[in-house]
Amino acid sequence: MKHIKPVVVVFKKELRALFLSPLFYFITFLATILMGITYAVSIWNFSQTLANTMLTMLGGSSQQQNIHYVVFVPHLSLLNLIYIFVVPALAMRLISEERKNRTFDLLLTSPINSTQIVISKYLSLVVVNFGLALVSLFYMLISLRMYQFELAPSLLALLGIFLCGCSYAAMNLFASSLTDSAMISFFVGIVLNISIWLIGGLTELIDQPIFKAVFDQVSLNAHLQPLIEGVVKLNGLVFFASVIFIFCFLTERVIESVRWRA
Amino acid sequence: MIEVIDLCKNYGERKAIQNLNFKISTGDVVGLLGPNGAGKSTTMKILTGFMAPTSGVARICGYDVFEHPIEVKKRIGYLPEIPPVYLDMTIKDYLNFVFDLKQVDPQFKTDFVVKSLQKTQLVDVKNRLIKNLSKGYKQRVGIAQALVSNPEVLILDEPTVGLDPKQVAEVRELIKELRGQHTIILSTHILSEVQATCNKVIIIHEGRIVAQDDIDKIERLNQGAMTVSVRTKESKALENGFQKLPSIVDIEKITGTYYRLKFSARDNALDDIARIIIDSGAGLVELSPQNENLEDVFLKLTYGEQKDVQV
Repeated sequence: MKHIKPVVVVFKKELRALFLSPLFYFITFLATILMGITYAVSIWNFSQTLANTMLTMLGGSSQQQNIHYVVFVPHLSLLNLIYIFVVPALAMRLISEERKNRTFDLLLTSPINSTQIVISKYLSLVVVNFGLALVSLFYMLISLRMYQFELAPSLLALLGIFLCGCSYAAMNLFASSLTDSAMISFFVGIVLNISIWLIGGLTELIDQPIFKAVFDQVSLNAHLQPLIEGVVKLNGLVFFASVIFIFCFLTERVIESVRWRA
Repeated sequence: MIEVIDLCKNYGERKAIQNLNFKISTGDVVGLLGPNGAGKSTTMKILTGFMAPTSGVARICGYDVFEHPIEVKKRIGYLPEIPPVYLDMTIKDYLNFVFDLKQVDPQFKTDFVVKSLQKTQLVDVKNRLIKNLSKGYKQRVGIAQALVSNPEVLILDEPTVGLDPKQVAEVRELIKELRGQHTIILSTHILSEVQATCNKVIIIHEGRIVAQDDIDKIERLNQGAMTVSVRTKESKALENGFQKLPSIVDIEKITGTYYRLKFSARDNALDDIARIIIDSGAGLVELSPQNENLEDVFLKLTYGEQKDVQV
């Protein structure tokens, strides 16, 4: 309990700062517009395919008739895209700006250690990610009223994207801890978010089986794919947990090193 | 209360502070005095646990700042050079946040927050956003923040920088009021501030302590010495007359009618100066001895005994 209290204090402060500023509402507003447009388009496409299939009775490929693949997978990749750009924008405030405004001095001279600082700031990002995930869940629930389908696989896919968002949060918090400049931390964050997708592509270039296996395992795509298809694999969950842990740990080290470097 | 033993801090090759040793007892108000870059802020940052020393020990309330940083941080209030305020919070929310962060018993919350608002005269503006406040008010919020947990030790890094003269006077008054309730260390390069608020002074120069003692004792180091400003009605050559005065050290002719004379002892110098001027017929307009003793000590200790030192 003693160790949790400072975390709660800073976590609450971060959430207040977030939900009392227009930034979060502006971001969710834009996200809703984007999601609304793509959702409308894909649900219309889906209904067309469905109507055509019924008319011709040809069947077509089973994926084309599945609302999960036709509507929700594009919908969720949009959510992923939103995460890629929004998370760095939110994360840059958390450490870079605090350091620039010298408010970080207050945290560093208060009875809270660097692990607690990192946990509280990370959790505030997770809450925002969760908020955005809820926004996109709303579209799925609405679809349930129009069409009978199995919700569970789509929920798992949503969980997968949410875990991606949480990995970005850890990486971008790390980027934020590296510099006093919010702009630099924002761009470093975006680069990190994109490169974790590209690193899996290296498998194509390498012949040696050992390295191939290594790159296969560090590829975000490889671990996300089962979740998109509605399959929970333990190694996938371990992968996400490792990325989050490693980057939070690195952030904690950078914050702690300020004491020695400054 | 505060104990510093052989404290050193190096920034790469540069030695910011070297072998600092001092003790401060409960209830003291201590001025850390030194020119810019002397190592005042570095010392304070180490005391607050913000920074680790290269070697040496610092203890606050018996806790080593390096071994038990959390215990130390619970007991201090720190005002850095730039007040650490969140611009998008109101003063009241901000102080509540700092109070929670300091992990003080929650039952004192309202009481301490109100008291710190009152002491820094922020009650009327407590619901305003900090970003809309002037620099002076932000500085006061910074002081309120240091006070809000009612800490045993207050560490104030240049508390009056950037304030207008009235606010400077108010802050000094506040520090005087706090005397006795907290142990206070404040750093400054303004001498009058130390004279006005502190009962002990530690003079630091190039990372070393060059003097530390009660303020009266330090002033006594230079006792007897005196600088006199002299202004006459008409411009007349008076240097020769002044030259003959017994304990004269230096004559500085600023304009034809304005001199600054330095004496090594007080004796009857003022009588003699007046006599010389009146006898010469130049007409006496002003004769004012200056007792900036601490300033002289400070300059001697930090810049050496150069005769042409100007403040």
